[in-house]
Amino acid sequence: MKKWISLLVFLSISLSALGAQDKVELFGYFESQIMVAEIKSKFYQLYNNKLRVDLKSSLSDNITFAANFDYITFHGKTTWNILDFLAPNVTSEVPEGMESFYVLPFSNRHFLDNAYIKLSFKHLDLTVGKQQISLGTGYVWNPTDVFNIKELLDPSYEQPGHNAIRLDVALGPVYTLTTLFSPEDTWNNSAKLIQLKGRISHFDYSLIAIEKIWRFHNYTQFDMDTMNFLELPEKRQLLGASTAGELLGLGIWVEYGYNWMENTENFYELVVGTDYTFDFQTYMMVEYYRNTLGKTNYEQYNLNDWMRLMAMEQKTISRDQIYSFIQHPFTDLLNIGIQAIYSISDKSFALVPTLNYSLSENVDIMAYLNFNFGKEGTVFSRTMGNGGIARVRVYF
Amino acid sequence: MKKIMFSGLIILLMAPVLYSQELTGEDIIKKVNELFDVESGYAKAKMTIMTTSGQKRTFIYESWSKNKGEKNLVRYLEPRRVKGQATLMLNNADDIWMYFPRTQRVRKLASHAKKQKMQGSDFSYEDMGSGDAFTKDFNSKRLKDEKMEGYDCYKLELTRKPDGDVSYSRLIMWVIKENFVPVVIDYYDEDDPTLWLKRMIESDIRIIDNIPTAMKVVMYNKNDNTQTELELLEVKYNITLDDSIFTERSLKK
Repeated sequence: MKKWISLLVFLSISLSALGAQDKVELFGYFESQIMVAEIKSKFYQLYNNKLRVDLKSSLSDNITFAANFDYITFHGKTTWNILDFLAPNVTSEVPEGMESFYVLPFSNRHFLDNAYIKLSFKHLDLTVGKQQISLGTGYVWNPTDVFNIKELLDPSYEQPGHNAIRLDVALGPVYTLTTLFSPEDTWNNSAKLIQLKGRISHFDYSLIAIEKIWRFHNYTQFDMDTMNFLELPEKRQLLGASTAGELLGLGIWVEYGYNWMENTENFYELVVGTDYTFDFQTYMMVEYYRNTLGKTNYEQYNLNDWMRLMAMEQKTISRDQIYSFIQHPFTDLLNIGIQAIYSISDKSFALVPTLNYSLSENVDIMAYLNFNFGKEGTVFSRTMGNGGIARVRVYF
Repeated sequence: MKKIMFSGLIILLMAPVLYSQELTGEDIIKKVNELFDVESGYAKAKMTIMTTSGQKRTFIYESWSKNKGEKNLVRYLEPRRVKGQATLMLNNADDIWMYFPRTQRVRKLASHAKKQKMQGSDFSYEDMGSGDAFTKDFNSKRLKDEKMEGYDCYKLELTRKPDGDVSYSRLIMWVIKENFVPVVIDYYDEDDPTLWLKRMIESDIRIIDNIPTAMKVVMYNKNDNTQTELELLEVKYNITLDDSIFTERSLKK
């Protein structure tokens, strides 16, 4: 508690001092969200409140400092037993006496999400510190992004910051070379990235190479030293490419990444997407995703697959899936849409009606419901339960 | 409708000495087109949307343009909800990128995205683009002269060319005889040339840097019964702009 008060005092003094300077901006948002889930005919609720405070300061024409601090509180059902969602053939893999470890807790937390300094010169930008890393052209899935995994039902939500040193060099008006180093305990364990982005005709494209340690866990073994499931770190080397442009009037994007793994099997991921806006303002998008790390038969999904999926260590556990989204602006303030996600490999699907409403200049409401229609044991199994989220966000 | 009005700028050349009786529809539309031939420009504008329910939404943005509107950058300043969002349009809005500061992501948009409403307003991105659509995508025919908004005007009918890349089948335009300002434009449905969709009215024309400029533009949406007003807060013409402003790197700044 003392530590928390000290931090608040430090922040308020720092922010006030910075606020007194020229060219300092303080902004952010407050977000209140309720999540409802139906599990085995019972409804459960999880509430959370999030305060995000952003600071941006232009220290000079070519030096920018930016940071944001997040404080999140959780209320209601703050512990979820993951085994409640899984099929009996999967839960039977749980080692005896370890059942209590398969609980997902939602605890209050506060953290410095991003904090970086950016030096901008005529032909290059150098960004040092905790920063968002956004890679690839895919909307829901990004085969070339080894740093983040998007929330399937809410893919445009902001991603966390990563500690990194990033250099973007402009090679003429069209090409940019990016190098990034994300330090870990040793050079060997640190992530390294190099990317060339350019444009040919009306298509953007990029070539990318990344080396990073992927931190899987074995969710059937417990590590007494870390008091967590056993970590299985493994070097991952990725070579990928992406493009985005227009073909026959449709928006088109493709993203591909081949992964060489140090110990386990190599795999690739592929995304192909298209979108279109009709004259009557309806917007439609379809995205196909293949992940050869995923399985083709849902009866092969094991406890590790499910836990890695829920812990967001891997993007999918089924091999092929399609995401589609259609949205229409019913009024100038209200957008209504529906997402449909179909797992081709296990023939399960989910429907997700969505709503976005602008309540006032700086207040948005977002809500969605999700309904699962798959067989037990599939990715979108009925036993996963139905549910939804309603979120109000106030910007300041 | 690429050329209609980038950032609410309606730019006029000094009124040329011409004899209206001799002008054809194509002559007049060429003169209108020349109004946009300013090498570069900067504007700060306020966009106010009046919604169907009578609510107001106000946006303030800055925009920069170069090469007679071939390159455009728009960056939002207010409200907080969209602050930092930016749109880059190159090649007369054939290439569009949008930047979302919350996710620090740049997304390349296909040209169909130009049909989308800009921040829910009655202007589409296409309306806000730039280029030479009046001459490139439409055939122009002169109709009987009329008085409109208090001005003596040429009245033109613009019909989309078979290969025209625009979302309107037809425009009716009233052009002020004195200075070739298109003071009123009516827009008709892409498929039904009789279906009147929107009307744009320009007003408060001032001379800025020797260039006549409409400081206020209102778009009335006949279908939705809404309107959007664009008001120029600051305008500069023929300023020095580095090409690096119109790049993906610059979008993120």
